[in-house]
Amino acid sequence: MSKISTTLITLSILLVLSAIAAITFGPADIGSSELISCLVGSCQNPIANVVIWQVRIPRVLVALVAGMGLAIAGAILQNTTRNPLADPYLFGIVSGAGLGATIANISLADNLTIALPLAAFLGALFSVIIVVFIAKVLQRMEQLLLAGVAVSFMLASITQFILYFGEPFATNRVIFWLMGSLARVEMSNFYVIAGVLLIAIVTVIALHRQIDALLLGDESAASLGVDVDKLRLLMLGLCAALTATIVAYCGGIGFVGLMIPHIVRQLIGVTTLKLIIGSALIGAIFLIWVDVIARSSLPHAEIPIGIITSALGSIFFLFIMYRSRASM
Amino acid sequence: MSTLINISQLSWQIENKNILQNINFNVFKGEVIGIIGPNGAGKTSLLRCLTNQGNILSSKNITGNVQLKNRSIFQYSAKEIAQHFALVMQKNETIFALSVQDVMKMGLLPHKSLFSLDSDHDKAQISLALKKVGLSNSLHSHFNQLSGGEQQRVLIARALVQASQILVLDEPTNHLDVYYQHQVLQLVNKLNITVIMTVHDLNLASLYCQRLLLLNHGQLICDGTPKEVLAPEQLSHVFGLPCQQSIDAITGAIQVSFYLKEANEQSDHFTEILDE
Repeated sequence: MSKISTTLITLSILLVLSAIAAITFGPADIGSSELISCLVGSCQNPIANVVIWQVRIPRVLVALVAGMGLAIAGAILQNTTRNPLADPYLFGIVSGAGLGATIANISLADNLTIALPLAAFLGALFSVIIVVFIAKVLQRMEQLLLAGVAVSFMLASITQFILYFGEPFATNRVIFWLMGSLARVEMSNFYVIAGVLLIAIVTVIALHRQIDALLLGDESAASLGVDVDKLRLLMLGLCAALTATIVAYCGGIGFVGLMIPHIVRQLIGVTTLKLIIGSALIGAIFLIWVDVIARSSLPHAEIPIGIITSALGSIFFLFIMYRSRASM
Repeated sequence: MSTLINISQLSWQIENKNILQNINFNVFKGEVIGIIGPNGAGKTSLLRCLTNQGNILSSKNITGNVQLKNRSIFQYSAKEIAQHFALVMQKNETIFALSVQDVMKMGLLPHKSLFSLDSDHDKAQISLALKKVGLSNSLHSHFNQLSGGEQQRVLIARALVQASQILVLDEPTNHLDVYYQHQVLQLVNKLNITVIMTVHDLNLASLYCQRLLLLNHGQLICDGTPKEVLAPEQLSHVFGLPCQQSIDAITGAIQVSFYLKEANEQSDHFTEILDE
């Protein structure tokens, strides 16, 4: 068996074990025997049953698919733009979602359960449409990233303007939402994210050779029969839909899309198929454990998950910079 | 010899500047053709039109016909064009640590459907192509860590995996030292397929090409054997320098040498400075 197959099998086993282990963490005191009986459907304690099936399992499953989705979105963007620093967050997706969430909080405060994720999703899509439009007008698809950064700052400034003059409670809600949390997720959220994720994975597996061809330059890819602009646009749309869906339910969770593909390239490989499978597995394991830290490190409170991913991500990048300096 | 490509009345104009002007020529099966000319003569532009890169021929600035096997090139899909033409471009940079194997697999793309994985036949093809270019032991090497000459050979091997009938190379000897220049062009010559390449070095073009096309200001000035195309008066006019033609004593190939008009005067001047 090749080294890569062994790594992928080990990661798959680790993922299953991580998901099961993560269910045991939480404020409610549920013993391991009670947990197993609830999982196999012979639960004696109805409260434990509700906690496990309606709180912990949906939360772990959403962490799993959100981790997979964010890491895959980063991996796709990095390979299609040949930029290892490309990240869905740099394309203005979160700023757009933030603006959507702000408008929903200020004007639709009564129906936030439905309005907040919907408005965040629409805001994210809106920002991506602007980014692609600008890149199209400039006729320079390679400037997508710069257009994304510009749009990101523009939308963030509009959000801050609205929040500055807005009602303090609404401002608080938006700020907490932007920090990211899996505390309020439900099983239905899992189904929606998993559906979009499945479409993204199938599309990328179908087109993996085309995306690989981009790694040696647009000219080289075009000579192999790839419609470069169309492929890049399709992949950007896919990443936008994936990230917007996750951000709409979970808020801002930064650095996953930037950090995980970087690790996968070192461990498994740089070509799309290896990168996508590796990112899905490591991204899922990573977010499951970050969520465990978020909900169990403080006695009576949760730490927003985005704070932990950003802290870990920045330390990770400083470490990478230090290591590359040492090897020079 | 059967005609593979027929180009007639090809012109390309951008903002009143003629990139290509009324180009007409045929490419026959098995020929090794060198496109020569000064910088900005339209060599790379001609290659782009020839292979319809990025569907460039549909641009309203370009007129004329390009036929591949007696059918208009517009009747071919991008995938079909990739099955006929394999391109080796000047710039092939990647910041990711691609292995030689990863680069070679790209050559399979025009023959693969969606979702398809690599078969044992594909792996055998890759090994065979690398053997032909003398890089059998480099399958797992990092592409970026190879020398310029080795990278060119990997890309030629990728073109072999692509199994196209026509190999198109844009300045294949750029940035290579003398040894690798000859190694790469000898390899291209031995492949026994139709080759069209732009070449800067006229003596290399003469040594390795059966036929040369001389371009200047987007016009096809001359199309013929190296002896015909490298005629001194013609080259002097195109490159703006006097030149002499000779026959290489060892290879028997036509060779040209250019010199500055004031070369003799300058040489006297330098001798005076040295004497002082």
